[in-house]
Amino acid sequence: MGLKATARKNAIHAMLIYAVGCNGCDIEVLNALLSPRYDLEQYRVLLTWNPREADVLIVTGCVPWQMAEPLKKLYEMVPEPKAVVAVGSCAINGNVFKNMVGEIGINEEIAGPVENIIPVDVKVPGCAPRPEDIIAGAVKGVPKLMEAP
Amino acid sequence: MTERSKDVVVEKELSFGPVHPALIEPFRIRLFVNDEIVEDCELTINIPHRGVERLLEGLPVERALLITERVCGICSNVHAWNSVRVVESGLNIKVPDRANYIRVLINEVQRIASHLIFFGHAFEVLGHETFSMRSFLLREVFMDLMAYIGGNRVMPSVPVIGGIRPRADLTESLKRVILERVDDFEKKYLEFVERVVADPLVMSRLTGVGLMSKDEAIKYHATGPTGRASGWDYDVRRMMYEYKPFDFNVVVLPEGDNKARVVARALEVIESLKIIRQVVKNLPEGPIVNRDWVPGKMDFTTMYFETFRGELMHSYSLDSQGLIRGYKIRTPTPTNLAAMENVCIGDHVTDAVLTIASCDPCMTCCNRVEVIDSGKTRIMSEIEIVRKYGWRR
Repeated sequence: MGLKATARKNAIHAMLIYAVGCNGCDIEVLNALLSPRYDLEQYRVLLTWNPREADVLIVTGCVPWQMAEPLKKLYEMVPEPKAVVAVGSCAINGNVFKNMVGEIGINEEIAGPVENIIPVDVKVPGCAPRPEDIIAGAVKGVPKLMEAP
Repeated sequence: MTERSKDVVVEKELSFGPVHPALIEPFRIRLFVNDEIVEDCELTINIPHRGVERLLEGLPVERALLITERVCGICSNVHAWNSVRVVESGLNIKVPDRANYIRVLINEVQRIASHLIFFGHAFEVLGHETFSMRSFLLREVFMDLMAYIGGNRVMPSVPVIGGIRPRADLTESLKRVILERVDDFEKKYLEFVERVVADPLVMSRLTGVGLMSKDEAIKYHATGPTGRASGWDYDVRRMMYEYKPFDFNVVVLPEGDNKARVVARALEVIESLKIIRQVVKNLPEGPIVNRDWVPGKMDFTTMYFETFRGELMHSYSLDSQGLIRGYKIRTPTPTNLAAMENVCIGDHVTDAVLTIASCDPCMTCCNRVEVIDSGKTRIMSEIEIVRKYGWRR
């Protein structure tokens, strides 16, 4: 393992982007990363709110049209190499907000899922996913960071 | 923005959001600051708009539950239960006693989880991470209970029309587990609260900041613990028949500052524990769901409900095939935030975000649309918009 990879492995910074779901996945991600029960920080995965520091981008929510542009901008701010983890059904396929529509046919409020806007590497399904699953998903994104030159 | 800003010359404008380290949820704050004193404040809350009310139009009433539960992830049970109550009241569906008891149980479990999230958030904004982490740790007890009862930590989906899901029925062993966990939690929680109240730094940050009078609370309709902390004795739970069998106090505090809003929630947790114990001890035997009903024509029915943040309204009608027409949801957060927008004026700028957080804002429910019509901002519901401008943007 090279010097860069060692350095990266010892300080993986995850940034949470809350692209408007229902708050459930958002708090579960915070639970997985921060809370004393599922504490990811003990494995040196740190939560950051600065996109320029981040390695892993965790996106939750179904991305309404107001959030599409900020999400793209934030993705561009994150330096290479980067991995994107889409957490929750909303981020993967839009969940009820995109798929369970009454008479309107297409819900135009929603620009998502996340894949339509930025490339996604890991998907964590569930509504809301358990913190254990979120941890597994965040770890799946790590090899992409390690293999980069 | 209030009328005041037209006369006041401000030195500086601080603007956060929609994505900012200080704000976890997407909303925008503009603070107009003069010599570090907030002169005016403007909140923009329309970012998390998903068009929920419009999605529900024309859905069969049984399926509405799936969407209404996902309005908010912190108070998911509240929206599910209230959307069910509307059709139960409109079509006169009798709900068995056992189902009502278990609905109350899951609601109080989620109320405690929600209040503990508030402590986590408020202390994080305050800068005291230890207390924040401890309240997140305490909250896990109730997340576990929700997973045991409903099968999911966030979306227990306990109520269905006419009763509860068979999955959520309480067994004897589950009753025992609930009582054990609640006793264990109460001991730890009281220790935690004592530590918080005895901490001079935290208390001096909270006391006397963000003062809201009773008249102001009534004027802006700041309901829930936010209004009760200002001395407004108003709780919808008193008027709900589901809560009739239980004995609990409504916490009303006269101070109206940030400390009162924190303490009111801390005391409400203890009242909720009381209700949980009563439910488990007095749980009646019998059926849990009444399937003897058919969806049919229903006039507009409105039901009010006491959520963890304040007063919630759901209202809709059904057409002859049992499809939903004109769904309207009014959540407590927009009115609470409108109060906070005015309360933080005149305080130090470092306290402004704390004051706004002290009403326990939950931005996902504020799905109002803002329409700027010839320079005049107006907040409209989706239905009004569709009537006036049509659905296409």
